Amino acid sequence: MSNTASNQTSTSRAWVMLLLAGAFEIVYALSVAGSQAFTVLSWSISAIVFFLLTLYALSVALKTIDVGIGYAVWAGIGAVGSAVFGSVLLDQSLTLPQAFWLAVIIAGVIWLKLASSEKLQPEKSELVAS
Amino acid sequence: MISWVYLGIAVLFEIAVAFSAGNAQGFTRLWWTIATLVSGAIATFFLSLALLEFDVGVGYSIWTSVAGVGIVVIGAVFFQERLNPRKLSGIAMVIGGVIGLRLSGAA
Repeated sequence: MSNTASNQTSTSRAWVMLLLAGAFEIVYALSVAGSQAFTVLSWSISAIVFFLLTLYALSVALKTIDVGIGYAVWAGIGAVGSAVFGSVLLDQSLTLPQAFWLAVIIAGVIWLKLASSEKLQPEKSELVAS
Repeated sequence: MISWVYLGIAVLFEIAVAFSAGNAQGFTRLWWTIATLVSGAIATFFLSLALLEFDVGVGYSIWTSVAGVGIVVIGAVFFQERLNPRKLSGIAMVIGGVIGLRLSGAA
């Protein structure tokens, strides 16, 4: 029981890493788009660097956070973020139907990842307070 | 139309990334780590080809989401992971959304 405090510290550190992984993933997506199929050097380097950063941050976060929940949050941040920042920074504004269907896809993948979570299975009675 | 093909190839390699990264055990196993990086590089390259035509938000979201569906379906078919109604509804939402985007003229 004495390691409850250190568990909490590592849990919050893991969540910081997960949010960072989501932010890195947004930069990765925008860099891949900006690289113009890897013909622009600066964006290409940025894409590679942020791919590795995302992979590292995600792997650290998922040592502590449940994989289903972790992927749901990470995928949600990456997808929403790339749509929002893509429209603002790269001037790729979506039409209303496109934004609607995009929202359906993103909600679907978050729902799917949460449904894959060990911790969120309905038949398990012990809910984990985090 | 060719952009959708590029995106499909990128999806297949993204599924390979998830599978390899899962077996790399925190990147302590060399060959699975190499497989993760190589698949990631190929997936990224084909994504970049698709994003020449797709808006980044649309192309990226279809890519990760369809890969997510693929991972669950492969898990159910080859690794005896259970498909419950919640997973099926998530899969249906992703597929419905992709069809909707296709019909609303996203590349």
